[in-house]
Amino acid sequence: MLFKDQVDFVRQHIKKNKLRVFMTVLAATMGCAFLIVLASIGFGIQDTMRKEILEDQAITEVEVYTNGGEELDISEIGAVEHVNAIVQRTSMDAMAVSQIENRSLEGNMLLTNFAEEEKSNLKLSEGRMPKKDNEIVVGYQFAENLLTDAERKEMEQSTEEDAKPIGGYKESLIGKKVSMSLQSYESEDAFSETWDFTIVGVTEKPAKDWFVDTNMLLDESWKGKFQEVYEANVEGENTDLFYSSTKIYTSSLEHVKSVTEELKEMGYSVYSVSEQLEQLDVFFMAFKIGLIFVGTIAVLISSIGIFNTMTMAVTERTREIGVMKAIGASPKLIQRLFLMESAWIGIIGTVLAVIISYAVSFLANCILPMVVGAALDEDEFQDLSITFSLIPWQLVVIASVISIGVAMISGWRPARKATKIDVIQALRQEL
Amino acid sequence: MIQVQNVNHTFSIGKKGKEKKVPVLKGLNFEVEKGEIVAIVGKSGSGKSTLLHTIAGFMSPEQGSITVNGQETAYLNETERAKFRLNNFGFIFQNFQLMPGLTAFENVELPLKLKGVSSKKRKASVNQLLMKVGLAEVADHYPNELSGGQQQRVSIARALITNPPILFADEPTGSLDSETEQDILLLIQDLNQSLGVTFVMITHDEEVASIAHRKFRMHDGELVKGDAGYVI
Repeated sequence: MLFKDQVDFVRQHIKKNKLRVFMTVLAATMGCAFLIVLASIGFGIQDTMRKEILEDQAITEVEVYTNGGEELDISEIGAVEHVNAIVQRTSMDAMAVSQIENRSLEGNMLLTNFAEEEKSNLKLSEGRMPKKDNEIVVGYQFAENLLTDAERKEMEQSTEEDAKPIGGYKESLIGKKVSMSLQSYESEDAFSETWDFTIVGVTEKPAKDWFVDTNMLLDESWKGKFQEVYEANVEGENTDLFYSSTKIYTSSLEHVKSVTEELKEMGYSVYSVSEQLEQLDVFFMAFKIGLIFVGTIAVLISSIGIFNTMTMAVTERTREIGVMKAIGASPKLIQRLFLMESAWIGIIGTVLAVIISYAVSFLANCILPMVVGAALDEDEFQDLSITFSLIPWQLVVIASVISIGVAMISGWRPARKATKIDVIQALRQEL
Repeated sequence: MIQVQNVNHTFSIGKKGKEKKVPVLKGLNFEVEKGEIVAIVGKSGSGKSTLLHTIAGFMSPEQGSITVNGQETAYLNETERAKFRLNNFGFIFQNFQLMPGLTAFENVELPLKLKGVSSKKRKASVNQLLMKVGLAEVADHYPNELSGGQQQRVSIARALITNPPILFADEPTGSLDSETEQDILLLIQDLNQSLGVTFVMITHDEEVASIAHRKFRMHDGELVKGDAGYVI
């Protein structure tokens, strides 16, 4: 029998029992949709957590520490294969007081190597990377925190906890001269020495909404001069005046593991986001398998409907099957026709389930943040990018295989029963 | 064309463990020649239907040999028997055994579909045959829209559509009135003469058996000796 004729044959039988087949398809759809939506919660939460982690740190970034507080051997680390950039940012135990026109800001300054920063792909919201010693990059919120004395006073009087800066510098900072002086945390006045810098770049907006970046990034060559000035103004020993954090950037994601392992062998303490992601993935793999297992139970329950429908179909068509066998239909063909019918129920049910699941997932991601936000009375909750449900193609494939597979398995026994029908008994059946 | 040699068969009757063996075919031997109409007559329970089912391959005899066109058919497996039936046999049943969900055209077309014949070739063959059996007008009617005689004609057309060399007819006029019975018998004779098809008929009706070239009478699972058609 040609495949087209087999399909026609199945279609004709389905048409004859539209309501019964519709109800069975509905059950299969509900089972499969439940499986997909349930598992999509696991995928959604995992995605949210991954994003949360990756917002803090670039995926190719590896933080390195020495165990005893001694200096890192940069040349040794640089020799490790696949290390793309080594960014060592040095903070000073002093405030950097910046002044532009009549506005000032008491912030933090970081000394760094701009060539390495560029290699690590430091992103700027505007401007360019410094090329001269007196050129600097400032943080994204640097401008809005440059306040006049009046604005500062007004802000200090504000009772609101999360008061946003009142005023701030509204124009672009690119090309602006900033004069900077140092101030000890213990004293109320800045040191008399000042330096003039030109702002050539502004960093990108921090991924975290709550993070305020008012840092100044300066070339590391200034370290000696700042130390001299600090020591001239502050009496006593200044052993811990500078402290550094070192981040290594690998050339690509797949090299993070090898670089991390090599650094560990060298005796360094290492932290990379990929390690954290690996642990997260292992946990969520188990979580998702659990959800898929629970969802599969729903599919199995719906398969009882398919089994019943197919058993009824075989019983009702006993005489027809007998005639088919009498005129020359092979048992294999009879079995295939019934398996195709149960597979058809599974396929239609799965297709509908996938469409419904995507709709449910979309609605859940739209509505749930609003509902939860309203319930908790937190407006900000609605703005957070939380993925409650995510349906990747892999989940669609897994659910389809389970759903269609279960449908075919539940149709297998009735199909076998059809092949065992005795021709003589079937032909004796009353019309 | 058909050789039946020493065929024996028994049925087990009763509850499991307390079964009783009832012999239904007892050492049958006969042959059917090509182009013949052979009638197997006998009362109910004489074993004539069991004999037809055995020759047609719906069941295997316990003993003996059945050869059709030189092929031993008694002990083929189910798939092989199905294929053999499709290529060599046509069936006409007492209650027509048409598919209720298919039109007359589709019922006749069914064996060709099983053989994997293309839709275009099927259409031509079915239309030609429906014309021959006088059903061209009702090709798109469903079985419940046809008279008994028309349904039996559809059944005959379905049996003939694959051009089988042998047609089995089990009480072919059993469900028809006497006028329609005559029509069907004439059609069988016509097909036998024009197409050279071999007919093996089961009937209890002597009038139906009268169109046969030879008659085999069965009684209690045996062929009655002394009958005109009895051959060893």
